[in-house]
Amino acid sequence: MRGCESNRRFSAALVFLVALLLYAASAQASGSPIPHGTLQLIAENQWIAIGHPFYLGLHFQLERGWHIYWVNPGDSGEPPRVTWQLPPGLSPGVIEWPVPRRLGTSTIVDFGYEDAVTLIVPVYAEISLAAQPLARLGAEIKVLVCREMCIPGRTQLSLTLPIKSQLPAPDVRTRELFAAARKDLPRPAPQNWKFSLDDAKDSFVLAANVAPQITQAIFFPILEAQIDNSAPQILQPLASGFRLTLRKSDRLLKPIERLKGVLVLSGNRACLIDVPVSKRGAQKNNSGSGIHEIQSSKEEPRK
Amino acid sequence: MKRSTLYLMPVTVVICIAPLLVAAAKVGQAAPDFTATASNGKTFRLHDYRGKYVVLEWHNNGCPYVGKHYKSGNMQRLQKQWTGRSVVWFTIISSAPGKQGYVTASEENEYLVKMQAAPTAALLDPTGEIGHLYDAKTSPQMVVINPQGIVIYDGAIDDKPTTDLSDIAGATNYVNLALEQAMAGKQVEMPATRPYGCSVKYPGSTH
Repeated sequence: MRGCESNRRFSAALVFLVALLLYAASAQASGSPIPHGTLQLIAENQWIAIGHPFYLGLHFQLERGWHIYWVNPGDSGEPPRVTWQLPPGLSPGVIEWPVPRRLGTSTIVDFGYEDAVTLIVPVYAEISLAAQPLARLGAEIKVLVCREMCIPGRTQLSLTLPIKSQLPAPDVRTRELFAAARKDLPRPAPQNWKFSLDDAKDSFVLAANVAPQITQAIFFPILEAQIDNSAPQILQPLASGFRLTLRKSDRLLKPIERLKGVLVLSGNRACLIDVPVSKRGAQKNNSGSGIHEIQSSKEEPRK
Repeated sequence: MKRSTLYLMPVTVVICIAPLLVAAAKVGQAAPDFTATASNGKTFRLHDYRGKYVVLEWHNNGCPYVGKHYKSGNMQRLQKQWTGRSVVWFTIISSAPGKQGYVTASEENEYLVKMQAAPTAALLDPTGEIGHLYDAKTSPQMVVINPQGIVIYDGAIDDKPTTDLSDIAGATNYVNLALEQAMAGKQVEMPATRPYGCSVKYPGSTH
């Protein structure tokens, strides 16, 4: 009797201990090794709420000086690639990429992240999803980690979360990482900011009518081989905003219809922009240099 | 005599700096000329190969993207296939001394034997001069020059920018495409792509 009781107590203690260890392991979640760093799969909520979208995150922690790449890696390198292994009824969205940094020297410029970054991904949970105590969410990640040289890595990550019909509740353990990741996301440009883009022979000239005084602007193109990544981007502040001259890539052999990317302005404002190439500018292009084009387009309203 | 030497001096200076001032190679334009010493000790000048197709392959033996094409035998196959059809193939190593991929002539000769590589020659470019002349960004970056000396392709080796050997089988090889189309008298469909791989390890490169 006594023995039985103590046994029961012992197994209860054991269950508690195992649970505690599991919790500690998932809370610390030191991450899987990747070349010169670690990678961790994190969830924003404590459980998957049926019918509610939620976010997963890939938290990269790199050794000092090592970097990974943005969706457009720039002149060299490769972005991380994820293959999700999710239970039926869960479907992943696309990665929401934080604002990258320019990395490199004068002739080769890459776009990426040094030290640490969290890539967040929305996941859609269908209404038909069945509740279950432990659903396994898996991801296979291929990532290129570089410093002076590049090392490809591949790792398999997983996470278990209950699926419940209850409303979602945030996981305090990952709150800061998700908040930091969201802070670094580019936002849509304010509605009253107007952008236009002229095709000026060897360059694109991005003109912006924006309220604040702009003293710094860097453009990161989403697509490869549109602009010359290593060419200086020439900013011309204007009373009404600014003009940014972006040298075209030598590999851009056909005209483009739109230029899409992230514009980082002074004061750490980062906007997502998607600007159509002005047809008028492209026609004028045949008859004169970029400077003339801008002047003539400025003069036009006087006519 | 002395007078004519003096007269020639400024000309020589101009010729020496000229390659640095010339704009980088562009598709549809003349391929910039260069002279280089190969790992076999011979000197090669691009201009001497007018009348033939020439392939330039930027190489770095420590780069995993280069490794993909050499470990699989893909690059060697391409080299054999095209040099067998009278194409001149120059492997170019623009890594600076002390940087990844830098090799001495004898190290490169050993590598060529070990990998059973078959370029026409492996050109040593430790100053990065040829690399800059072609604005080479990555290894493996590939350039195809036609018999008239015009750049007809500049970019990636294929359409799968990864380090996975398994991606080679299903890839569209842009060098094959350019050479086959040009040799058939057709327009090269994809004359420029983003080259993929490791950044070329020029002097002063940091990443």
